[in-house]
Amino acid sequence: MKEIKKISALFFISLLFLLISCEEGSNEIDGKKPADVKSIVITMIAKSSANPVFESAKIGAIKTAESLSEKYSKLHVSIDWQTPDNESASEQAEIIRNAVQNGSSAIIVSCSDIDTLTQAINYAVDNGIAVMTFDSDAPDSKRFAFYGPDDLEMGKKLMNELGQLINGRGKIAILGGNKMANNLQERVKGIITAAADYPDIEIVGTYYHPETEADAIAVMSEVMKLNPDLKGWVMVGSWAFFGEKLNDVIEPGKIKIVAVDALPVQLKYIEKNYVQVLLGQPTFTWGEISVEIVIDKIYFNKKVEEIIRLKIIPVTIENIGGWSRQLKAWGYKDVPEKYLGM
Amino acid sequence: MSSKEIHKTAPSDKISFGQKFSYGLGSIVNNLLGGAIGYMSIVLNVGLGINPALVGTLQAIPRLTDAMTDPIMGYISDNTRSKYGRRRPYIFIGAIFVGLTFALMWQLPGGYSEMFYFWFFLIGSIIFYLFYTIFATPWVALGYELTSDYHERTRLMGVMNFMGQFAWITLPWFYAFMENDRFFSDSVQGARTLAIIIGVFVAVVGIMPAIFCRERFVSKESEVKVKIKFFEGLKKNIVEFSKGLMITIKRVEFLKLCAGTFFVFNAIMLVGAFSSYLTIFYVCGGDNDMGAKYMGLFGTVTTFSTLAAIAGVTWISSRIGKRKTFIIATSIMLFGSILKWFCYDPMATWKVILPAPFIAIGMGALFTLMGSMVADVCDLDELETGERREGMFGAIYWWMVKLGMALAFGISGFLLNATGFVVDFGGAQTSSTFFWMRVVDVGIPAAGCLIAIFSVASFKITEEKSYEIRSELDKRRSKTISTEKVS
Repeated sequence: MKEIKKISALFFISLLFLLISCEEGSNEIDGKKPADVKSIVITMIAKSSANPVFESAKIGAIKTAESLSEKYSKLHVSIDWQTPDNESASEQAEIIRNAVQNGSSAIIVSCSDIDTLTQAINYAVDNGIAVMTFDSDAPDSKRFAFYGPDDLEMGKKLMNELGQLINGRGKIAILGGNKMANNLQERVKGIITAAADYPDIEIVGTYYHPETEADAIAVMSEVMKLNPDLKGWVMVGSWAFFGEKLNDVIEPGKIKIVAVDALPVQLKYIEKNYVQVLLGQPTFTWGEISVEIVIDKIYFNKKVEEIIRLKIIPVTIENIGGWSRQLKAWGYKDVPEKYLGM
Repeated sequence: MSSKEIHKTAPSDKISFGQKFSYGLGSIVNNLLGGAIGYMSIVLNVGLGINPALVGTLQAIPRLTDAMTDPIMGYISDNTRSKYGRRRPYIFIGAIFVGLTFALMWQLPGGYSEMFYFWFFLIGSIIFYLFYTIFATPWVALGYELTSDYHERTRLMGVMNFMGQFAWITLPWFYAFMENDRFFSDSVQGARTLAIIIGVFVAVVGIMPAIFCRERFVSKESEVKVKIKFFEGLKKNIVEFSKGLMITIKRVEFLKLCAGTFFVFNAIMLVGAFSSYLTIFYVCGGDNDMGAKYMGLFGTVTTFSTLAAIAGVTWISSRIGKRKTFIIATSIMLFGSILKWFCYDPMATWKVILPAPFIAIGMGALFTLMGSMVADVCDLDELETGERREGMFGAIYWWMVKLGMALAFGISGFLLNATGFVVDFGGAQTSSTFFWMRVVDVGIPAAGCLIAIFSVASFKITEEKSYEIRSELDKRRSKTISTEKVS
């Protein structure tokens, strides 16, 4: 015991010295960055501030910027979050032009409209600003990278999930949203491609509609009236789950549904068995991974892939608890408390 | 022990603080060398772009050669006769060369192919582990024979284990040091510098036990050396080695200690990844920052609890004996393991820290008491065979620990897959996946503790028995002239 007391004393004295020197070191880190520190300002432009998925992307970007600044003493990364209140491609283009004028180091954008944004992105790149896209791409622009889902693969995954749920047999319908949206079209294409592997499944049609809850529900009601033996729905978006109207038109579990996106508001439909599988997107990583890619490109001069695929997470009643906690960790504020402990 | 008298250590059996401290310095070096490659190997992948599978191979192959050389070194050390002793010459030379090899093996030049780095590091690692064995095996054996007193052994092992913890405190900081862009242009340069610092530290501090510790069994000047032919000697040594190995692994009391260590230590090693994943993905919902904070806090609480536990266990064992102390400490660890089930609570994340001190008590007790108990077995072995074979016992004991660790790391990945864990899903794993992860994380250490308690409960060398053996050996030694006690 005596020996251990002596060694303990030595240990705590050493620890004290260590703490003092760490404290001095941390003062140096906090207060005085080296003179040759490189300051990088990334302008991040999402589609709409009203959409909570982008709030999560914002948190991911800011946390990553802070973490990189902390890790590398000669680097300071900050995020200039510039997102229109509501979707507006022209407003996004204007923000890009302003970012160029204001000397932004890089731009990360989710494109509301391909044509409008392609021009704006090319203008920024021609002025020496690195631009990458996330979530929604402008593939013919001069952007150096895109981070987002593979919509064709997502469509195939949707079909395969539904195929399993209805044991590869019966009539199904596709809810297609906006016919002009390229990403949704790709998903529909993926569904139809994968359906070829299910000879006993018949697709009664692909139904497009304005992207609101009411329009989605109206289309669904019409289709189900015409096809009373319908076994399942594949939805390339989650418009039908934005409110409470689905309760009036469908009996839980009778028709199987798989859909894209798994936001907090949609989780109750999984719990009540209206929908069996939602394909969730890790929206936090839109900010996290995009910022890392930009820093790799413009600070470390690393070669980066042009297309970086976002990994989709299937959400079912089995992982509703885990997914809810993950959403909360990503910054979503409206996650129902009851799911967090599941 | 209330009705029994507790033996007091005779002044002649006491080891001075200086010797204990010197021996403890060897523990820092031993743990540092044991952990450093693992903590620094990330540079091979991140800094030099070596495929992770090759990095895994680079870590596995040298350990296999290491496992084979340990018992051989134990035999060589046990059978060495020199005026400097059986252990100290190897510790001295081993420390210098292992430090030098460690510093050199990380001086990886830039701009070469992946296979160049693979072979460079593989050859370096094999040489490193060879010198590591030359240092560590005699050093472990030295600890078993520094004193013949039942309680003083535990005090020595307490000091050794206590000091050895400092290496475990330092190791997690290695990556941050190598990655620090204030000092280094990249992590590879950081690794080169860190390796030199460690190498110098190992060479300087590692020789301390050789300089300041005194061996009890050294050959006399008058000892007759019989010259025999090389091949004849080789044949004799192989036969003797095999015989010694068989006697060691057949000694039941020793096997009980091996089982106790194997199941407790490797159960904790096996579920290490599970605990981290559950903290980040289940308790913290996939929030890496929060998860890292809790894991850091868990580590800090564990470190301080382990230090306190080593001190406490050393004191308690001198009152109630080693076996009872081990059973109590392992029972507390069993409680801590079961407590984890209730403390993985996403609604009260702070609870995740609570089991740490209970688990630390078991871990702190393990290597303090086991080292001391192996030394007791060495006495029993001498009584029955007439030979002192601390080197062989120490080598087999640590060989078993290393083998278990390799198995644990190997099985861990398969078990994680078996639970249904998908890394891409982050915190969104299914309820059944989290359930089975928790079952493994709680169940395996709990089962390990129970098996260890069961194994050690029948360990026969009690305090009384140990002093009886000691008395017999002293009588026998007084009749012989081949060895003498050097204080």
